[in-house]
Parts: sequence; C-alpha cells; structure tokens
Amino acid sequence: MANTLSLYRTVKRLGIPDERIILMLADDMACNTRNKYPAQVFNNENHRLNLYGDNVEVDYRGYEVTVENFLRVLTGRHETAVPRSKRLLSDEGSHILLYMTGHGGDEFLKFQDSEELQSHDLADAVKQMKEKHRFKELLIMVDTCQAATLFNQFQSPGVLAIGSSMKGENSYSHHLDSDVGVSVVDRFTYYTLAFFERLNIYDNASLSSLFSSYNPSLLMSTAYYRKDLYKRRLEEVPVTNFFGSVMETIHTDAAYKALSRRNSGRFEDEMSLDQSVHHIERRMLIKVNDGDEIHDINPELLQGEEGACKCPWSTFRNKFQKAENVDSLVNYGLVAMIPLLVISTWLVQ
Amino acid sequence: MEKLKKKIGSFSFWNWVIASIIFRLILIYFPKNLNLSSRPEVSTPLTSFRRLAEGYWLKQSSMSSYAGSMYHGSPLLLSLLGPLTVKRIEGQPNHLLYSLVSVIADVVSAMLIRATGQNLRLAYLRSLESLDLVKQIDVSEFLFSGDIAALIYLCNPFTIVACVGLSTSPIENMAVILCLYGACSRLIPLAAFGWVIATHLSLYPAILIIPVIFLLGCGPDSPPRKLFLQRHQQKEVLNQSKLPPGFSWGPIIHFAFWAFLWSVYVLVLCGISLKQFGGLWEMFKSTYGFILTVEDLSPNIGVLWYFFAEVFEFFRNFFLIVFHVNILFMILPLAIRLRHRPCYLAFVYVAICSMLKSYPSVGDSALYLGLLGWFVNELADMQFSLFLFCGYVGVSLLSPVMHNLWIWRGTGNANFYFTTAMVYACLQIVLVVEGVSAVLNHDRKLRILITGKPQDAKS
Repeated sequence: MANTLSLYRTVKRLGIPDERIILMLADDMACNTRNKYPAQVFNNENHRLNLYGDNVEVDYRGYEVTVENFLRVLTGRHETAVPRSKRLLSDEGSHILLYMTGHGGDEFLKFQDSEELQSHDLADAVKQMKEKHRFKELLIMVDTCQAATLFNQFQSPGVLAIGSSMKGENSYSHHLDSDVGVSVVDRFTYYTLAFFERLNIYDNASLSSLFSSYNPSLLMSTAYYRKDLYKRRLEEVPVTNFFGSVMETIHTDAAYKALSRRNSGRFEDEMSLDQSVHHIERRMLIKVNDGDEIHDINPELLQGEEGACKCPWSTFRNKFQKAENVDSLVNYGLVAMIPLLVISTWLVQ
Repeated sequence: MEKLKKKIGSFSFWNWVIASIIFRLILIYFPKNLNLSSRPEVSTPLTSFRRLAEGYWLKQSSMSSYAGSMYHGSPLLLSLLGPLTVKRIEGQPNHLLYSLVSVIADVVSAMLIRATGQNLRLAYLRSLESLDLVKQIDVSEFLFSGDIAALIYLCNPFTIVACVGLSTSPIENMAVILCLYGACSRLIPLAAFGWVIATHLSLYPAILIIPVIFLLGCGPDSPPRKLFLQRHQQKEVLNQSKLPPGFSWGPIIHFAFWAFLWSVYVLVLCGISLKQFGGLWEMFKSTYGFILTVEDLSPNIGVLWYFFAEVFEFFRNFFLIVFHVNILFMILPLAIRLRHRPCYLAFVYVAICSMLKSYPSVGDSALYLGLLGWFVNELADMQFSLFLFCGYVGVSLLSPVMHNLWIWRGTGNANFYFTTAMVYACLQIVLVVEGVSAVLNHDRKLRILITGKPQDAKS
C-alpha cells in the first residue's frame, strides 16, 4: 500500500489532479488494529512522510478492489449508478499511467488474496480500450515478482510496459521498518521514487533516463521494459508525458472572451430551410410593428439560394440568428417603450 | 394664511423626501446591504435579487433563464436590470447601481402618489362644492392627502427595507401607482401602460382593471351619485352641469385599445427574447404558473406556505382553487358597493392581494400603506387605528425574532413564525374591514348633512 501511495503523491506533485487519478487500494493497513501508528502509512523507516495524511482520495477501497472492477474501470463498462469519480474518463488523446503492485507470479497478479488478474485478461482489456479509443499512449508499471510476464500478451500499439523483475526472478523489498514490523517499500518503487525526487515539474528528463536509472544489482532483479509496441523513441518522450501534467501555454495579447452564444448561432445555421423561412416571416411581422416597411420579399428566391452569401437577405438572416442581435433588439424595444409612452400620452392629452 | 400654511407644508415635505433619500443611501452603504436581501420578509421567490442575478447568469450562459426554477420574473426585467447585477464599481458597495434604481423607483412612485393625491383632493373639494356642503364642513382643516400619502410611502420602514433589500417590489409598486395615476388624470395610454406592466410583472394587479374602468368612466372618488340627485331635488334646480358626469364608455374603449397595444408589444418583446428557450408558453408556465400553483413553500409573512406544507397536502388542487377564489369572490361585492370611490376600491384590492397572494412581502404592504394616505380625510374616524399601528409595529419586530428562533437557534418551530404571520394577516383584515366601514360611515355622514335627518343604518 505504501508503494501505491508514494507514487500517488509523486504523480500529484508533478501536476496530475485527483479527478484524473483512480486510486484502488485494498486499504487494510492504515486503520488495521495491529498498526502501531493508526491512520498513518510510511514509506521509509525514518517516518518522515505520512503518506496517508491529508489530500488522499481513494476511489476504490477494500472489497471494491476486485478484478472485475479493475477491468470495468479499464474498459469503461460500468453500471449506470457508478459515479464519475470512479470512471476512467479518457478519450483518444489521453496518456494513461497504470501502476500495479502487490503479489504476482508467472502471468498473473494477485488481488486481495482471493483472485488473480491474468496477463491475457489484461491484454484483452487493453485491446478493448484501444478499440474504443480510450487512450493514445499507455505506460504500465508493475512491481511484483516476475512482473514482466504480465505483459507477455500485449498486442495493442501505443503500449509501453516496464516490470520490476523478469520470469523466474523475485522483486524484493527495500528495507524493513522494525518499529512497525513490516517492510515499508519495495526496491523498484523506491528507486523510481528516488528518480522522481530529483525531478521537478520543469525538468525534461526522458523515459529512457528513467529506465536506465534502474541498476540490476541494487534492485536485485532485472527491470525489463517492453517498447516494441510503442512507436516513439524513448529519448524524446519526457517522463511528464505519463507521470505529470505539464500544459503548453501560448501567450496572447488579446482579451479572453467569455463563452458567447455563437455556438447556438452556428447550430441554427444548419436548420432546415423551411424553418429559416419561418424565421423570416416572423421577422417581417416584427419589423412591421416597428413601423418599417419591407418591400419585395421573395421567399422562393431564398429557397433557391441555400447558403449563398451574396443574397443580402441570407446575410441578414444569418446575422439575425445570432443571439447578440436578439438581446440588443429586446433592449432597443425596451428603450423605445419610453418615448412611445411619452409621445402617446402627450398626443392624447 | 392658507398660502403660508401651504408653503410651510410643502417646504417640510421636500425636507422629508430628501431625508428619506439620504437615509436610504446611508443604509445602502452599510456592508452587504445589512443582509436584508436574505430575509424572508423582504425577498420572496418572485422578488428576490439573488434569483434575478441567477436568471441573468443563466441567460448569459445561453441557457433558459427559467432553468432550475430559480428565476420566476419577466424576461424584460432581466434585460433591464440583469446587467446591473454584475456591474461593480471600484470602492463602492456591490449592487450600488441596482440600489440606486430602487431608490429612484421609490421617489418616482412617491411623486406620482403625491400628484394623484392632489388630484383626489381637488375632486373631493369640487364635489363638496357642488353638494353645497362647503360651509358645513371645515375645508381648511383638510390635510394635504397627496403629501401625506407620498411621505407615508417614502418614510415607511417597510418601503425602506424593501428598497435597501434589493427586491423588485419598488418597481412593481411603481407600475401599479403609474396605472392609478394615469387613470386619475385621464392619461389613458399611461394608465394602460402601467396596468399592462404591473400585470406582466406580478399577476395580481390584473384585478385593478375594475377600479381603472370606474376611474376612467366616472372620474375620481366622489360621494355617491344619489346624494347629488337628492341635493338638487332639495334645491329644485336641475342644473345638470353641477352633477358629476354619468358613466361614459368612450374612455373605456380607448383604454382597451391602448391596453391591447401595450400587451401585444410586451408579449412580442418577451417572445423574441425567449425564442430559443420555449417561447411564451414557457414564460407563462414559469411566471404565472408558478404564482398560481404555489410551488415554492419557503416561509414568508403570508399564510399559504404553512397551509400547503403542513395541512393541505392532500387535495392540493382543490385548496389552490379555494385560496385563489378567496381573492376573486371579494372583487364583485366590493365593486358594487364602492363603485363611486374607485381609488378607494383600488386601495382595498391592493390590500387584499397583498394579504392573500402566494408570496407576500413587506414591499406589497408598503404599497397599500402608502395608498392609505390618500384617504386620511375620509378615514379620520377609523376605529382601532392605534391598535392597528401598534400591531404592525409589534409584528414587524416579532416576526424576525421568531424566524431566528426557528431557523437559526432551533429553539422554536414553524408554529412560532406562522403565529406572527397569522397575526399579521388578522391585522390586515381588520385594517381593510375598518377602512371600508369608515369610508361608508363618511358617506353616511354626508347624506345626513344633506338630508338633515338621520336615516337607518342600511343604505
């Protein structure tokens, strides 16, 4: 649990907001009766950082962490009652980071001591995601024993995967916290976090530097990554592509206009032609009330010229359908009420 | 002597007007308008400023301003007052411009009340002259009902609170008073305009069409026509020119034409501004439908919220009809009895509406209390006036206390607050009943003066 929470903190520090993070924790440690420090989770024996402090938003906890829910999150096939915070709301331009840790083995990952996620299930889910255009690039990071076997079955393009150990190797924990009585962080995650601690939001460290920072002798296992499905060169991809959220800003000098109703105007432009003729008739009626005289209106002419901007009536119609003109017309009408009132009163007197 | 008294009277009148304006401005400069706009007595779902701002924001975000059942007023009011809800001036309190609009509306209403009051007073003096009662009634003792009514309207704490509390009541009141002024001064387009706008903004001024018809047909308040005939039978002079004119239909038709014109204009403007959001039917459902079906049951100084929340949840439609007919069935008898005094009829109608409408507020009470000032001469002998005055003061002090006990402290419950609402309704009923009987007693006294012998009480 400390692994996931540490990476959660790192990823948030690098800019990804909570609404873009789905955190699934079995969550049995922090409030366990055997935890000497209730509601506190540490990833280092110096207890410097309480990972379970404030600002932790867990989306799936306890019994909700099942293989079924995990696959539902990935593929997006939820019950209708599932809230938006528990859904993966990605689209075809998203970069997704998937980090899994726990106990695992040859082509499986253990869930809650009772279920397992198999590698072909995971590959199938990823294939469905690609079909449904739910990601553009996917980085899967797995920290279990024999982690690299979990992504043997992947075939979808755009997937980059790294595991903490290869087939036949175990992943080891980093150190034991004798005060709490358990190991608090695993080596792979520890060195990943160490890499990111040296980083801030503006660094341009690439994925290849991350992958090459893993030292097999320190990890006591071989960190294996699979990049044949990933088309870009790892030297060019910054780590913030997956681990952070850095937006490109474009400086303009013009003022930012608030949301105007031009969208509705555009929508109205696509109306069927008989509706637009109806608009013209209504506008004629209004104009007559205001005292203007309109001559030689030719609706047949308009039906012949669909969207030809040369015709003055169609440009007038387009201008009228914009919402701003409606507002100003109503304002003119209101303002005109007062002189009308004054004149009529004075005339009748 | 009278000129000097008049000059002194008008001097202190303008003093009072300026003092009340300054007082309003001082209250506006208090932080957040003293939170008056959140009081249930001041802001109802129909007049609330917060809802107006919400409706304007919805409109600016290209959504229907009636979405979410927040705003229930006229779309024209949105176009007019909406931009004022967002405009901020550096260093000045928020909503300064909107408060200034309310202050100006109050002042204009007061001026119109004054003019109408002067009109009424002149008509009264003229009718006394034609009845030859000028020697018997001391005319110099007549108070300037126009000035008094205007001052009552301006300096009434209810009006001040409604103005500073940023409700739309000052504007609705201004429309009603404009209508009555136009009808009294025979300015038919103005009266039609005022009536159409008042009905458009809140549904209830529609019943003012009856006093307006009487005003335009017969003229302002005067003693019953029977008295004139009796007086001239006594004098055996059938001088037709001294008689008040009979009912004439010409101005009524004129009024109907102008009312039709203005309502078409207003409806067309509303239709244009609501073209994309469901049109006029949506507007009628959200404004008039909301008023008539009493959808919002938040507490106010009226009685309907409690009835529908606690008592009459079953057979709701039946009780809705009963409560609305409660206003309607009083129209005809009052119209028959008070047809010679249309302005007083208008006052009684306004008082009944303010009491029995779906969402009353102190702004509505401010209107009829101001109109009460027109009749200080006729109502000089009203009974229970001190009781009513103390009752009003007591209710306006206790009602916020009970609301606080109920909502904020939790030591009271809805019954506490509803008690003050019921007492308030009782006070208004006593006011209306005593007022009508005082005016009828006044007419009776005039008849006694003319015929010289007291008749039995039925007349």
